[in-house]
Amino acid sequence: MMTFRTCLALSAALIVACSPAKDDEKETTTFELPTAFPSTYKPMPSVTTLITNASIIDGTGDASSANSVLVVDGRISAIGTDLSADGATVLDAGGRFITPGIIDIHSHLGNYASPGVNAHGDGNEITSPITSEVFAEHGVWPQDPGFDEALQGGVTTLHILPGSANLFGGRGVTLRNAPSRTVQGMKFPDAPYTLKMACGENPKRVYGSKGGPDSRMGNVAGYRKNWIKAAEYKKKIEDGDEPTRNLQLETLAGVLNGDILIQMHCYRADEMAQIIDLSKEFDYKITTFHHAVEAYKIGDLLAENGTCAAMWADWYGFKMESYDGILENIPFVHAAGACAMIHSDDAMNIQRLNQEVAKARANGNRAGLDISKAEAWTWLSTNPAKALGILDETGTLEVGKRADVVLWSGDPYSTFSRPDQVYLDGALLFDREAGLKPQSDFRLGTEIAR
Amino acid sequence: MKHLLLATASCLLAAAPAFGQTLFLDDATVIAPNGSSRTADIIVNDGQITAMGDTLTSPDGADVMAGLWVTPGLIASKSTLGLVDVGAESATNDISANTDLASASLRAADSFNPRAAHVANARRRGVMYSAIVPNPTGDTIFGGTGLVASLDGSDDSVINDAAFVHVALGETGARRAGGSRAAAMAQLRGALADVRRGFLTQDEGDVLRRRDAQALRPVLAGRIPLMVSASRASDLLALVDLKADFANLNIIIVGAEEAHIVAADLANAGIKVIVDPLENLPGSFATLNASYDNVLVLDAAGVDYAIGGLSGLGVVKAGGLTQHAGNAVGHGLSRDAAFEAILGTPARWFGVDLGLMRAGSAASLVVWDGDPLEASSAPIAMYKDGEALSLESRMTALRDRYNPTTDDDRPYKYR
Repeated sequence: MMTFRTCLALSAALIVACSPAKDDEKETTTFELPTAFPSTYKPMPSVTTLITNASIIDGTGDASSANSVLVVDGRISAIGTDLSADGATVLDAGGRFITPGIIDIHSHLGNYASPGVNAHGDGNEITSPITSEVFAEHGVWPQDPGFDEALQGGVTTLHILPGSANLFGGRGVTLRNAPSRTVQGMKFPDAPYTLKMACGENPKRVYGSKGGPDSRMGNVAGYRKNWIKAAEYKKKIEDGDEPTRNLQLETLAGVLNGDILIQMHCYRADEMAQIIDLSKEFDYKITTFHHAVEAYKIGDLLAENGTCAAMWADWYGFKMESYDGILENIPFVHAAGACAMIHSDDAMNIQRLNQEVAKARANGNRAGLDISKAEAWTWLSTNPAKALGILDETGTLEVGKRADVVLWSGDPYSTFSRPDQVYLDGALLFDREAGLKPQSDFRLGTEIAR
Repeated sequence: MKHLLLATASCLLAAAPAFGQTLFLDDATVIAPNGSSRTADIIVNDGQITAMGDTLTSPDGADVMAGLWVTPGLIASKSTLGLVDVGAESATNDISANTDLASASLRAADSFNPRAAHVANARRRGVMYSAIVPNPTGDTIFGGTGLVASLDGSDDSVINDAAFVHVALGETGARRAGGSRAAAMAQLRGALADVRRGFLTQDEGDVLRRRDAQALRPVLAGRIPLMVSASRASDLLALVDLKADFANLNIIIVGAEEAHIVAADLANAGIKVIVDPLENLPGSFATLNASYDNVLVLDAAGVDYAIGGLSGLGVVKAGGLTQHAGNAVGHGLSRDAAFEAILGTPARWFGVDLGLMRAGSAASLVVWDGDPLEASSAPIAMYKDGEALSLESRMTALRDRYNPTTDDDRPYKYR
């Protein structure tokens, strides 16, 4: 729905498009996002499993008094104290921790795959500042060994985004971290698409000598010009005009329609505030700011607008817009009542997101906050699931959800702990002791191949 | 300097204790440079360790802290601290230089700025010293001459302004030298041969100008290390061969992701390595065999190794040094070995005096609020040569201005 406010904000040339439909033969319709490349993900086989004697962090943010989880047909069918189930395979956790599988909302696994050869640079369509027509999934190589290592770090779901060179970078895709020959075999069923957008230094640096944008002013003008086109495109379809299909505008119209979630690379506080106003001008929602190194300066604004921030624990200083990074960014945003989460953006960092949260939590508490371990876990799975539109399916250990579960060797916030087992939809995909782990084709034939 | 901690105490938040003149560390776990640990009580008075023992009594008026951890100052074996403010802003970035005038003789010490924000930001995470390494660019494999510095932030913090020479082999060296490893090795061997040449003019070397040959002289003689970035097993073996031909070379390999394949050769040749225990991905064809086991194999084979923060976990990487070492323990390395690899070993290599942990010595130590190898632990006090080091930095100033627990209601810019 295009709102009245939005109509007013558009240029005079478009006022006609916002006028009541003329009484001709065309019927009005609603914009529907066409689908393609459907998920073929099928969970690996699983058995009815009862995990007992566990310390449970369930992802709800509250301390859990439960010690047992029952998994039936890949879903959590019960969670409670001293559960029993006839015929179930029983796993005695021996007091070890279990948690929801970790969700990384910002990864480039597959589209900047290892090895990082030129031929693997498939994450950024650096040919125009506007490439909302590209899809990250078309650049994802399922044999990236990083997927296997991330699984061994407890990551069960991850979101692959295009890079940040462009104002509109293209669509992101949410993947199950499942061993698969195809990307379609990893796509999270029915997860919404996202659109990667980028603020700040990258677009103006990349395009400054290639026709622009060459400044933050140009960045914002570029966003606005294209939202205007998108609104017009969507309106034409709704008016029954059947315009020629335009992949660029289709993605943007999907955002305006609420079907596609905005994941926006943005570092500086003042710039995030500008982008929030931009979203109000065109009546769409920014789901998440990514990197958001200065989010701690505007936690209140993020909370007020229901926009999440996906952050690092301690990365900063590599470019001007990241110079003001602090170690308390995530806890300060959380304390302001906003939706905060960890993200990796890195094939190494994704393997230890639990440690990154441990650091962030400890630094926040050192600064005077009082954030529990249960609460901090929302930064690892709950809030990323929310920001990806999949919280109904995963992100917490609650009845009915996919059994994406990690069994840890010790306190998951300890640097010395490791996942002992990782379950995806109740299927055991990684078992340290048994030596069960996926291995990409690329690893075969090396000295260290399994 | 010694009163800095006191002077800044009023800005510290409740969770960071402010210390007076006397510190009583009750039942502290004390880590030695060789990584071994013991439990002891320590009294630090006015920057001096005045007593250390099993059952000391707290002096009147001392700040008593029980059950904490004490280490010497940590050493980052490779960083670019003080050479750069903002990586992407070339005007602030002195990590490398593309000039025809000099290569090996470019002195990073001439670029080093002890007041760079990253120096204090790394220091407050327990890193007290670093080998600071210039990188090659253009068509030379030589990054230049590196320095070793304290991160105390003072104008006299440079410990050795010509501590080693850095050179890149492997993929980087090949790219710099014109496109192949053969070209990189030809440049390195040619350069070492130039050192022995009697120059009549400044530019008659096969590879080097006179000043660069002079800078390499102490390297050839083994008086300072040759730090070599290399990863692939075959590149590491090429260095074993080089050492056979230039026996005095004191080689420290940085990266060495495939060292576990040739660990015995490295041990036999007495070649040192700086490894990152987190490197487990085939990031390039030079690291196809990268594995968490690398550091474990090197340790078992008796290779002389240090642990560095070379990979992910913090773009200004020296800051997360303890997390890199802690993960080695998570993979199975002994705690003693992990500590030694960020303390005693690099101290021995780079000539850093970590101080003595005993009564009567000037305090050179870091007091941690938990196990230093846990990423969630942090220093709460640092001393170097009897002087308290500040744990404040630009980061903490920003933290304090925007702390949501503050009752300061002035506008942000007035806080």
